[in-house]
Amino acid sequence: MSWLTWRQHRFQIGVAAALLAALAVLLLVTGLQMASQYHSAIAACTATHSCTNQGGLFLGNHAVGFLVIMTLGTPVLAGLFWGAPLVAAELETGTAQFAWMQSVTRRRWLAVKASWMLLAAAVWGGVISALVTWWSGPNNALHLDAFNPGRFDIMGLVPVAYALFAMALGIAAGALLRRTLPAMAVTLAGFIAVRAVIALWLRPHFMSAVTTTSNLIRGSTPPGSYWQLASGVLNSNGHPVPQVNGPAAFGIPLNYLPASCAPLNGGATKFAPS
Amino acid sequence: MTTVIETRGLTKRYRKVTALSDCTITVPDGRISALIGPNGAGKTTLLRLLAGLARPTAGELAVLGGIPRQDPAFLAEIGFLAQEIPLYKRFTADDHISIGARLNRHWDAAYARDRLRSLNIPLDRAAGTLSGGQRAQLALALTLAKKPRLLLLDEPVAALDPLARRNFLATLAEAVADSGLTAVLSSHLLADMERVSDHLILLATSRVQLCGDIDALLAEHHVLIGPRKSTTAIEKTRTIVQAVRTDRQTTLLVRGNAPVLDPDWESADVGLEEMVLAYMGQDCMPAPGHLTTVGEKQ
Repeated sequence: MSWLTWRQHRFQIGVAAALLAALAVLLLVTGLQMASQYHSAIAACTATHSCTNQGGLFLGNHAVGFLVIMTLGTPVLAGLFWGAPLVAAELETGTAQFAWMQSVTRRRWLAVKASWMLLAAAVWGGVISALVTWWSGPNNALHLDAFNPGRFDIMGLVPVAYALFAMALGIAAGALLRRTLPAMAVTLAGFIAVRAVIALWLRPHFMSAVTTTSNLIRGSTPPGSYWQLASGVLNSNGHPVPQVNGPAAFGIPLNYLPASCAPLNGGATKFAPS
Repeated sequence: MTTVIETRGLTKRYRKVTALSDCTITVPDGRISALIGPNGAGKTTLLRLLAGLARPTAGELAVLGGIPRQDPAFLAEIGFLAQEIPLYKRFTADDHISIGARLNRHWDAAYARDRLRSLNIPLDRAAGTLSGGQRAQLALALTLAKKPRLLLLDEPVAALDPLARRNFLATLAEAVADSGLTAVLSSHLLADMERVSDHLILLATSRVQLCGDIDALLAEHHVLIGPRKSTTAIEKTRTIVQAVRTDRQTTLLVRGNAPVLDPDWESADVGLEEMVLAYMGQDCMPAPGHLTTVGEKQ
């Protein structure tokens, strides 16, 4: 069965390997550039003792940065093009009947095919994630935003897990619907829906959030990478100032600023409470 | 003589549709059995049950002495060829032979290759580019290379032109004779199977109408021709399968060998096709005792 699985999918595996190789070359070349750019920037700021504010430093180029963000969508490709047709296409063309009438039980037929496909999905997600994680190293050191949605989802174990999920979803949809195209549609829709629910509603609650208060002007930088869920301004009594909805300075609605701060706003004093 | 297939009261329901009901058949060893019935009669369902690809809703069945099951040892003994002649379009005949070699316990690759060479079927061309007849021959060669003891072919010649049909059945009959296996071939056309089979299973409206050795079945069916008169006397000793009544004449197809004493009735032998068509014409027979008649107002 393993040989048959390989024989049926070797073309797709070749295409996937070629895509991964192209991505690897691109990310290795630009990643090495970024790393040296970062190291020289650090060396320069260490020499002048000005390393406190490097947030404005931009590494790499926009096109590659965009491509890296787009790897967010790569796990679902495994489910769409390998998972959904795995059972459905064989049922549609009848080749499942051929396989089932060799001396192989249907259970084993499915188990072997699905296992190799899940492994392939894990490798697909893993290689992309490894490249992206390595490539993002300098940026992660600089911006401390590796836990933000869109960054967290393309690094570490997360893409591997999503690729496995997409593959499992694709295989299941194909086996239940028995037709490739509807199975692909369900895989895509299901993946996006689950992805959105996790990112928007579940992930913020995986750990209880920590609230810190700091001086408005000096600001605060938590140690290590963090994900800022919300921020706001407190007044002198410790009560939150309402959300900005109109003219504001430093995130504070102008009508909440004390009169003494009016010069800060330039010519905006006419908005202050009378 | 041992039996290869034995079923009792076999029934298969798919949700609300009854595909096969109360099917009781026996197929002895070494026969080529023709499974005949109109489209939708339950032929495919019966073959799938026999191959272990589906499970019965009710009833019992024994194939090669055991219950069909998803088990390599059982599957190795069965050669099943589905109606759509499943082959991997992009794989060559050689590829298929290699797949079979890896997925089967017994596999005679040399036999399959010799067979295809003698039929002038290229081994190195994708199956999708072969003609319908060549694909059917390739699928049959692969099914036979498995060295099964029971061959189940679902409408194997339905998609073939008359010449390819003839060649296919000829090679099949030869292979069966050589290896001594048992075969069940389904078709909605009796003419396809008449030449090669010596056993008949007739299905209509999901029920078995006839099952047995063709010569024995023909010997116990007769055509009785007589004047238009009551058939009550005949019904006492024989089963009337079909009655066609005109103003002057009554033609009966009857089953049973009890002598007809009434000199008004003239008895004649029946042909296979005539017998089969008479049974196929019967819509939904609840039991052999309640046969309806054709051409009679009820």
